[in-house]
Amino acid sequence: MAPRAISKAGDGDTVFAMPLRYGDDALLWAAWLYYEEGLTQSDIAEKMGLSRPSVNAYLADARTRGIVNIEIDPDKFRTLSIAQALRDHFGLQDCLVIPTDGGDRPLIARLGAAGAQALTRFVKSGDTLAVTWGRTVLALAEALDHPGLQDVRVIQATGGTTAKIPWTPEACAARMAEALNARSIPISAPAIVSSAVMRSMLMQEPVLAEQLAILAEADRIVMGISSLRPESTIHTSGFLEGGVQHAHYQDAVGSIVGRFIDARGEPVIGPMHERTIGIDLAALRRIPQRIAVAGGVDKVAAILAALRGGHANVLVTDAVTGRGILTAEGYKDAPRRAVPSQAPLPARNHVKKLINAPKDAVDEALKGALLAHERLIMALPDTPRAIVAKDGPRAGKVGIVIGGGAGHEPSFWGYVGRGLADAAAVGNLFASPPPGPILAATQFADRGAGVLYIYGNFSGDVMNFDMAAELAAEEQIAVRSIITTDDIASSPVESRAARRGVAGNVFIFKIAGAAADRMMPLDTCESVVRRANARTYTMGLALEPGSPPETRRPSFDLGPDEIEIGVGVHGELGVVRQKLISADESADLLLDRILAEMHPSEGDQVAVLVNSLGSTPAMELYIILRRVRQRLKARGIGVHSCLVGPYYTSLDMAGVSLSLLHLDPELAALLEAPCRSAALTLP
Amino acid sequence: MTQLDAQQVVFLFRVIARRLADARVELGALDGAIGDADHGTAMADGFAMVVQSGAEAAARGTAAGDLFAVAARAFLNAVGATSGPLYASAFMRAGQRFAGQTTIAAEELPAIIGDFAEGIADRGKARPGDKTMMDVWAPAARAASLAAEGPLARLDRAVVAAEGGRDATRAMAASVGRAARLAERSLGHVDPGAASAAIIIAALRDGLAPHLSGGHN
Repeated sequence: MAPRAISKAGDGDTVFAMPLRYGDDALLWAAWLYYEEGLTQSDIAEKMGLSRPSVNAYLADARTRGIVNIEIDPDKFRTLSIAQALRDHFGLQDCLVIPTDGGDRPLIARLGAAGAQALTRFVKSGDTLAVTWGRTVLALAEALDHPGLQDVRVIQATGGTTAKIPWTPEACAARMAEALNARSIPISAPAIVSSAVMRSMLMQEPVLAEQLAILAEADRIVMGISSLRPESTIHTSGFLEGGVQHAHYQDAVGSIVGRFIDARGEPVIGPMHERTIGIDLAALRRIPQRIAVAGGVDKVAAILAALRGGHANVLVTDAVTGRGILTAEGYKDAPRRAVPSQAPLPARNHVKKLINAPKDAVDEALKGALLAHERLIMALPDTPRAIVAKDGPRAGKVGIVIGGGAGHEPSFWGYVGRGLADAAAVGNLFASPPPGPILAATQFADRGAGVLYIYGNFSGDVMNFDMAAELAAEEQIAVRSIITTDDIASSPVESRAARRGVAGNVFIFKIAGAAADRMMPLDTCESVVRRANARTYTMGLALEPGSPPETRRPSFDLGPDEIEIGVGVHGELGVVRQKLISADESADLLLDRILAEMHPSEGDQVAVLVNSLGSTPAMELYIILRRVRQRLKARGIGVHSCLVGPYYTSLDMAGVSLSLLHLDPELAALLEAPCRSAALTLP
Repeated sequence: MTQLDAQQVVFLFRVIARRLADARVELGALDGAIGDADHGTAMADGFAMVVQSGAEAAARGTAAGDLFAVAARAFLNAVGATSGPLYASAFMRAGQRFAGQTTIAAEELPAIIGDFAEGIADRGKARPGDKTMMDVWAPAARAASLAAEGPLARLDRAVVAAEGGRDATRAMAASVGRAARLAERSLGHVDPGAASAAIIIAALRDGLAPHLSGGHN
C-alpha cells in the first residue's frame, strides 16, 4: 500500500494535486499535515482526497519508514526502561521508577508520593494492609489521600520504637490509616524487647496475640528497605540499640521489617531475632503483595538483597538506584534503538608512544628531566625518586616538600627550585611515592625550621605522606601537612575536604615556596598556604582519555563527540559526560562553576592557570584563556597574572583545566615573588 | 604437624605473586573503570618485590617468622600508592604473630587472613560496605576464624567468603578512596582492591593446601 504518488483518490474520482514541495511523497504530505499543521485525520482525508482509514495507514507507514520519528522524552524513557528491566529481571508484579533529580523536592518526598500513587492503585476495600516504618514510609503516608474505601485495616508490621523520631511504626500506621479512612491497629509491644523470654511472655498476652493474628491476615505490606551504612536512619531509630554491631550481623547488608538479610537476601539470624516482635521474613513471604519503597545510592546493596531474596514483589525506586541495582546484576543499558551512525573509527589496538620498556618509562623520563635541568635539580644519592633543589634550601628556612605520582610532568620536579619547593618525592605512574623517598626529601629539606608537606588529596598520598611524617617525627623534624583540595568537580562544596588536589597545586606550591623563601616561620607558612588552598579552584574537562605506557590503551572510553566534565588527573571519570561544545562554551562552563563557589566581588584580583592535560595544544589553551579574560573583565574581576601551558598534565589526555586563585594582597605579593625552577621562573 | 621454613614461606609468597602477575591487566581494567588503572601494576610489582626481598632475606638466613616484616618493607617501598601502606600494615601485623620463629606450623598460617584484615582496617579505616578491599578481607577473616574446623576447611570457607565479598562490591557505591567521588558510577563494577584481595586469599589457600592435606585437617 502507500503509493508514492496519488493518481486517484480512494473514495472518489477526483484527482488531488499534491503540492510540489512534497515531491511525489504522499506519506510526507500526510505526515506534514498531521504533525506540523495539526490537521485532524478527517481534514487530511478531505484535503488529500483519501478515506480516513487510508490517512491513518499513511501516518503509520510514515513512522515505520522513518519519515516521522516520535521520541519519548529521554528521562521518561529511561525510568520506564529501568522499571521494565527490574520487573523482568526480578520477576516483580510491578515496578515504578521515578527520576532521581526532581528539582526542589527531596528524593524521599518524591519516593513517598510515587509509593502513594502505587498503593492507591492496588489497595481495595476490605484489605488488611501492613506497614513498616521509616522516613520513606512516612513520606508515603503523608502523600497518600485515598479515603473512598470501605473496611480497610492498617496494621503495624512491627512493635514500636523510640519516640525520638517522627517516623515510628505507630506514626506511619496511624497516618496511613487516616489517609485511607481505615482502622488503625497497633502492635502493643516494643519492636525489640530485652530478652527472648520476655518476648514469649508478651506473645501470650491476648491483646498482642490478637493483633499479631490480624497481621498474619495482611493482603499487602508497604515497607521501607534500610541499608546498614553508618549514615542510614536505622542507626538513629533506636530500633537496633547497637545490636547490629554484634559479630552476628557483619554479613548483613540490609534490613526489612526489622529483620536482617545478607547480600543474597538470606536471613541473617542473630541474637536480636528472638527478641524482635513483629512479622518475620517467612511470614512476610506469605503476604501476597509486598510493596517496597526505597531509593538512594547507599541503599543499592540492601534493595538488591531484598529483591534477590524475593522479599518484595513490587518496587518503587528512583532511576539512579534502579540502574545501580541492574548494573550490579550485570545488566547493560540497551541502546534506545538501532541508530544508524557513521562507520566506527578503525580500531587501533595500541596508542603510539615513544617509550622503551613500559616499566622503565617513569625512571627514564625522570633521568632525562634531571639532565635537562641539571643546574636546578638533582636526585638524592641512593634515593632516585627524591628530587631536590640545588639552590634554595638554607639554614633557618622552612623546607617545602611536595610530591605525588608520575605522569603529571612537569609536576612535581618542575616546581623544585629556589622560591618554590625544596624537594619532591615522585612515585610510580599515578601512584603515591612510598614513605622512603618522602622521608629522604624531608631530611634534605629540614634546615632547622621544620618542613611543610604539600600534596593533593588522594588516599594513597595521604597514607604514605602520613607514614613519612611519623618517621620524620621520630627524628625530631617538625612536619606539617597541607592536603590540597582545589578540584571542585570532585566533591560538593559541603565536603570540600574530600576534594582532590589537581592543577591548582601550581599556585599553592608557588605561594608556599615564596613564603618559605621570605623566611616565614613554619606556623606562618602553614597558615598562608592553607589560605591559598582554600582560595584556589580548579575545574577540568577531557576531550580524549590518556593512555598509560603499560597498557597503551585509553584509560577510559569517550564517545566520538563526547567530553567528560570534571575528569580527574588520573583519568578518573568526571561528574558528567556531554556533547562536545565550543571553546567559549567550555570556558564558560568551567568558569561559571568556579565563580559560583568563589563569589568574587567586583575589583577582586585573581590569578589564572589554563592548563593542558597533556595533548591539548597551546593554540586551544589560548583560545580558552581569551574567553576567560573576556568573562572576568565583564564581571569586573582583575587578572593579576596568567599561566598558560602544560603545567600539570595527565599523560597524553586531551583536555584542559582552569584554575583560579582568588588573591588577597599578601597572596598576590607571594605569587609575584621571584622563583627559579624547571617549570616556573619569575624574575 | 608440617612446619614451613623460610624457603617455603617465600614459595607461598611466590604463589600469590604469580597469580597477581597473571591478573595484572584484568585488575588494571577494573581499576580503569572506576579509578586510574594502576592497581594491577601496583599489586603485581609489590608482590614481585616481596618475593625478591624475601628470597634474599631467606638466603641470608632470616627466620621464616621474620619474613613478614621484610615483606612489609619491600611491598611499601616498591609500591607506595594506596595498596602500599595497606598491605605493608597487613604484613606487619602478621609478622607480629610469628616474629622470631625459624619455622611456622602450616596450621597456623590461615590466621594471617585475620592479621591482614586487622592491619588493613587499622591503616585504611574503611568500613564494611565502603566498596574497598575490606569487603573481602573482613568476611574472609571471619570465615577463617571459625573454630572447630580444620585449617584447610577454614581456608576453603575464607575463599568462598572472599569471592562473595568481591562480588558484593558490585552493588556498593564507593565511599572512600579515589573511586569515592564516582559513587553512583562505581555501581556495577567490582572494586579492584577487593578483586586482588580475593586473588591473594585463593592463592594462599592453594599454596598452603599441599602442606595441610594428608590428615591434618
